[in-house]
Amino acid sequence: MVTLISTIVLIAQEAEENDPSDLLPAIQELVWGAIAFAVLFFFMLKFVMPRLNQTLEARREKIQGEMERAEQARRQADQELAEYRSQLAGARDEGNRIIEEARQTAESMRRDMAAKAEQENQAVLARAQEEIRAERDRVFQELKGQVGELSLALAGRVVGESLDRERHSRIVDDYIEELATLGPSGDGRGSGQGSAGDGGEEPTRGSGTPEG
Amino acid sequence: MSGFLTLPGVIAENPLISEEFHRPTTKLFVWDCVTGSVDIGGIEFCLNRVILLLFLSMLLFIGLFFFAFRKPKVVPGKLQAVMEMGIEFIRQQVVIQMIGPEGMKFLPFLATLFFFIFLGNILEVIPGINFPVNSRVAFPMVLAIVSWVVYNYVGVKEQGLLGYLKSVLFPPGAPWPIYFLLTPIEFFTVIIVRPITLTLRLTANMFAGHLLLTLFFLGTATLLANVVTATFAVFSFALAVVLVGFEIFVAGLQAFIFSILTASYIAGAAHPEH
Repeated sequence: MVTLISTIVLIAQEAEENDPSDLLPAIQELVWGAIAFAVLFFFMLKFVMPRLNQTLEARREKIQGEMERAEQARRQADQELAEYRSQLAGARDEGNRIIEEARQTAESMRRDMAAKAEQENQAVLARAQEEIRAERDRVFQELKGQVGELSLALAGRVVGESLDRERHSRIVDDYIEELATLGPSGDGRGSGQGSAGDGGEEPTRGSGTPEG
Repeated sequence: MSGFLTLPGVIAENPLISEEFHRPTTKLFVWDCVTGSVDIGGIEFCLNRVILLLFLSMLLFIGLFFFAFRKPKVVPGKLQAVMEMGIEFIRQQVVIQMIGPEGMKFLPFLATLFFFIFLGNILEVIPGINFPVNSRVAFPMVLAIVSWVVYNYVGVKEQGLLGYLKSVLFPPGAPWPIYFLLTPIEFFTVIIVRPITLTLRLTANMFAGHLLLTLFFLGTATLLANVVTATFAVFSFALAVVLVGFEIFVAGLQAFIFSILTASYIAGAAHPEH
C-alpha cells in the first residue's frame, strides 16, 4: 500500500505529452554519472578490496592453520596410540617372558633340587650302606675272630677240663659268664675288643694249661 | 452515487484518485531542478531528483561496504557476510567464469559495475523512491563507455594495437572470402554496437519496468475511482505487486548481465582465440 501511494504521489506531477528529447542523455547526468562511478571504483579499489583480501587471507590462514594443527594432533595421536600399543604388546611379551622365565627357573630349580635331593639320598644311602657294610664286615671280622677264639678257648677248656666234672661245669659257667658280660657290652668296640682281648688271653691261658 | 454503491471515504476523498486516467509518458523520467542551476564550462548543473537519487545510490554503495568492511573480521558479521557473498558471487560467476583466474585484477571494476547498477536499479521498488536511476540513459551510457574503454585498452595492451585490430577485424578460423562480409560486421559489432547494446539493454529494461509499475499502480487508482470498476482494481493491484517482485529480479539480472558482458568483452580482447 505504501508503494502504491508513493508511486501515485510521484507521478502526480507528470505532464501529459511524450517528448522524445526527454530520453536523450542529459549532459550533467553524464558528468555526474562519470564522477559517481569513478568515486565508487576508487572506493572499491582502495577501501573494500584490500580489506576483503586481507580478511580472506586471514581466514584462509586461520583455516589452514587449524587444519594443520588438527592434522598434527591427529598424527600425534596416531603415533601415541601406536606407541601405546607397542608398549602394551611389549609389556605383554615382557610379562609372558617373565612368567616363562619364572616357570623355567622354578622348573630348573625343582629339577635341581630333586636331583640334589636324589643325589643326597643316594649319597646318604650309599654312606649308610657303606657304613653298614663296613660295620658288618668289622663286626663279622670281630665276631669271626672272637668266635674262633671263643671256640678255641671253649674247645680248649672242654678238652682240658673234661676229666674234671666240676671244673668242666665251672668252665661252662665261666663261658656263659663271659658271654653274659660280652652281650650287654656288645655295642662298644672297646669293651668288645677288651673282652675279646680278655677272651683271647684266656684261651691262650686255658689252652696253655692243658699243654702245660 | 448513493447507498451501497458509495466508495469508502478514504478512497473517494483521495485527490489522486479520479476517473481520469493518468497516462504514463516520458515526463515520468524528467524532473525539474530543485536548486538554481550553475554553469560550469558550458554545462548546466543543478540538483534534481535524478541526481539526488544517484547520490543516494552512491551513499548506499559506500555505506554498505563501509560498514561491512570497517572492521573486517575473520568470522564475519551479517552485513560483512552478505557483502562478501556479493563480491564472491562476482568473483566466481563473472570473473572466474568469463575471464579466468588471471582476470582477478578486474574484480574491483566488475564488482563496482554490478553493485552500482544494482543499487541504482533497486531504487525502483523502494517505497517513497520508486525511480530507477538507470532508466536515465546517461548513466548506463557512462558505464558502457567505461566498459568500452576498458576492454579496448585490454585488447591493445595484451595484443598490441595491430594485433588487437587484426583479431577484431579478422577473427581467426574463417576462410578468406568470408572476411569481406565478416570484417565490417566484426568492426561494427565490437567497436560500435557493443557499447550501444550495453546502454540500451540496461536503460530500456529499467525504463520499461518503471513504465509497467506506473501503469499498473495508476490503473489501480483509476479503477478504484469508480465503484463498478473497483472490483478489477484488486487484480491490477495484485499484478502490480507481482511486477514489483519481477522488477527486483530484473534489477539484479540487468546488473549481472551488464557486468558479465563486460567481463566477456574483456576476456575476448585479452584472448582472441576464445
